[in-house]
Amino acid sequence: MQLKLEKKLQPSKIMLFATPILAVLLTMVLGAIIFSLLGYDGLGAVREIFLTPILNSLKWQDLAVKAAPLIIIGIGLSIGFRANVWNIGAEGQYIVGGLAATGVALLTHEMSGWWLLPLMAIAGMAGGMAWVFIPALLRTKLKVSEILTTLMLTYVAVQLLNFLIFGPWKSPTSYGQPQTVLFNDFQILPYIIKGTIVQAGAPIAVLIALIAWVLMSKSVFGFQVKTVGSAPNAARYGGFSENKTIWITLLIGGSLAGLAGMLEVAGPFNRMVPQFPTGYGFTAIIVAFLGRLHPIGVLVAGIVLAITFVGGEVAQTTIGLPNAAVGLFQAMMLFLLLAGDVLVRYNIKRVRRAS
Amino acid sequence: MNNKQQKTPFRLKLEGITKAFPGVLANDQVSFAIKAGEIHALLGENGAGKSTLVKMIYGIMLPDSGSIFWNGEKIHIKNPKEARSLGIGMVFQHFSLFEAMSVLENIALGMDNKLSKKQLEAKVYEVMDTYGLSLEPSRIVSTLGVGERQRIEIVRALLLNPKLLIMDEPTSVLTPQEVEQLFATLRQLAKNGCSILYISHKLHEIKALCDGATILRGGKIVGECDPKKETSKSMAEMMIGASLQAINKSTIKDFGEIALEVKNLSLAGVGDFGVSLKNISFNVRHGEIFGIAGVAGNGQNELQSALGGEVVLKDQAAIKLNEFLIGNMSANDRRKKGLCAVPEERHGHAAVPDFNLKDNAILTARDRQNMTKLGMISAKHAKDFTKQVIDEFNVMTTGSAAIAGSLSGGNLQKFIMGREIMQVPDVLVVSQPTWGVDAGAAAAIHQALIDLAAGGAAIIIISQDLDELLELCDAIAVINEGNLSEPKNIGQVSIEEIGLLMGGVHGQNSEQLTPNSEVIAS
Repeated sequence: MQLKLEKKLQPSKIMLFATPILAVLLTMVLGAIIFSLLGYDGLGAVREIFLTPILNSLKWQDLAVKAAPLIIIGIGLSIGFRANVWNIGAEGQYIVGGLAATGVALLTHEMSGWWLLPLMAIAGMAGGMAWVFIPALLRTKLKVSEILTTLMLTYVAVQLLNFLIFGPWKSPTSYGQPQTVLFNDFQILPYIIKGTIVQAGAPIAVLIALIAWVLMSKSVFGFQVKTVGSAPNAARYGGFSENKTIWITLLIGGSLAGLAGMLEVAGPFNRMVPQFPTGYGFTAIIVAFLGRLHPIGVLVAGIVLAITFVGGEVAQTTIGLPNAAVGLFQAMMLFLLLAGDVLVRYNIKRVRRAS
Repeated sequence: MNNKQQKTPFRLKLEGITKAFPGVLANDQVSFAIKAGEIHALLGENGAGKSTLVKMIYGIMLPDSGSIFWNGEKIHIKNPKEARSLGIGMVFQHFSLFEAMSVLENIALGMDNKLSKKQLEAKVYEVMDTYGLSLEPSRIVSTLGVGERQRIEIVRALLLNPKLLIMDEPTSVLTPQEVEQLFATLRQLAKNGCSILYISHKLHEIKALCDGATILRGGKIVGECDPKKETSKSMAEMMIGASLQAINKSTIKDFGEIALEVKNLSLAGVGDFGVSLKNISFNVRHGEIFGIAGVAGNGQNELQSALGGEVVLKDQAAIKLNEFLIGNMSANDRRKKGLCAVPEERHGHAAVPDFNLKDNAILTARDRQNMTKLGMISAKHAKDFTKQVIDEFNVMTTGSAAIAGSLSGGNLQKFIMGREIMQVPDVLVVSQPTWGVDAGAAAAIHQALIDLAAGGAAIIIISQDLDELLELCDAIAVINEGNLSEPKNIGQVSIEEIGLLMGGVHGQNSEQLTPNSEVIAS
């Protein structure tokens, strides 16, 4: 028997929305089975990873903290992906953004004032943009694939981080620990909700998602991005420059990743440490796709991925699930989503003999 | 079955072939037959079900019901390979050739039996000699024109000694001389006993070539006729199921000032195979329709891009639109100044297939129709304009939210032409306005172009369809290898003359040369 994929004339609208949800549900089912087979409490693992963070209100603040950078980076990536610009090195832009903000914080360490945080944010965005500048230049001038360059520059960023905090930026009072000094009070994000750990990152993420939504659905720029991604020749005919679009979308992706880096270093970390690269930049790729490259979708997907992070930590302590389990769940989600997409967009036909 | 039929069974006979797709019945109880050595036309508008039908004969699709008989024997054709082994060959409208490979390599890839390069080359030469086809086996496909590419497909099909050759819209891109040559080949094939199923909507060709015709409309057979006994008009009316309106063209013409002045336009070709434009100069006045004829791949796409602004020129003065020098302006700025354009390829160039019609209207009409304000798009304005285009140009669709890719070729083309024409440009540059479009839609598009010119617009039509140009244009020039010939007024120029120019023969030499394939291929 042979199977054949046949493109559907028009994929079902409902299924396009339902697939990400189905992918998450199926991930839970398969996850439960797999971890049961591995000798863990499979159902418990799924419960702890997916449900505890939602049901336990104490975990909500953790969700907000984890979701914010995922959403901010995911929004930036999704705009680029829409234009077929595949920046998969947001992790590097996130690191350099954090480093640039740290640099400003160290230079202004003796100063005070409300303007320090905005300055650090600008520095963070500039850092992220600087890190996509090279891929953008190589792509537009020499047609070098940004998939390679952005990814490779991520590893350069990690080395840069290590060089700085093991070297010139190492705190003199850290007893040899590779880390910078603590930022001063004006360089640390304020808490938005009293008595929680929710800082300015969460509302900024929501705001960015809303702005991106309006931009992508209503503006000429959003139209341009979609046109370039969908039909480059038609875009040129419509008066849109592909190279300009590549530049702008890469710079947006880089600046948002850099901003997320600033919000992290000035937020939960309070200083630059070697543990700063937590993989948000990579996870944001899953966020962007799970959110259907739609800003509001990305907002929801960011929360879903945050749930798996927070839940993963819970499951680690309560049922001794290894940390890698979270990565497995996340990967499974992306895999099932992409597989689901094939089923939504294509009919599977059995090739049979004519009767 | 009567006795006579049993004695000499039909080469191919279809009985009650039905094929449904989600939402459409593409073929509904289709039955017809072709005799050995007969050239049989399959006639119908776009979307009538011709392609579906031949795909089933060639084994690309399977019928839902109905039977196919081959030399009187009931058969099931499961795939193209089986069709080929029976002796059914097909030359597609869209060629499936690898651009970067040579002619011979492309032919070898299409063969079911592997031959050595030498054997294959010998066979290729044999076929070419037999049928007077000229091709250089070692040429890289991307350097070849459309006519030559088609010859590769024909040679590929002929190598299998077919008993039935299916030709899908074969002449849409050929010069008159190339068409003549193709017909000579087909007639000789038929004489040798090969049946030919000829799909087209060019009626005079069918009259000239075919022995019988089956007419499809909406998936059903609506008539059979002997094309030699019918008029083009009567066949066209059978095809579209309505009486055909003659084009209304006022004979008295009063052209205005020069609307578009192209002066020494030169542009280096992009890539290894791009055609360079060389010192192209011409003027088009308000109200005038200017045709540019030529064999595909002689710089038409480059000229379309340079005029439309998809490629921005360094020389500002190369193009003058009314009083503005626009050579260095982007497509968008040119549009704002009054120059609209329609490139040849509908899918992915003139329209985004994944977008709905409203978004496809935004693609080019957003500025001229005031759809944007402060960088934001007014969906309402866009929708209103889209609806106007749909109504005015009779686009058959479910509405402005319909996905462009779901429209038939003719309907999408009507929408695209309507979108540009309703922006009331001063100058309109169109390539192949009726490529692959059915007679009804083509007539509507032609009328709209004439009306636009009557309203004072200057129109440039770049087309490989000479009939179209002769019917519509006031003046015509020929593009060959990036050079544009001296423009001539229609009425002062013969088809033969244009044909020779298309083949690259200029000036006095043309009298010494006969229009044959060598000239055209050069």
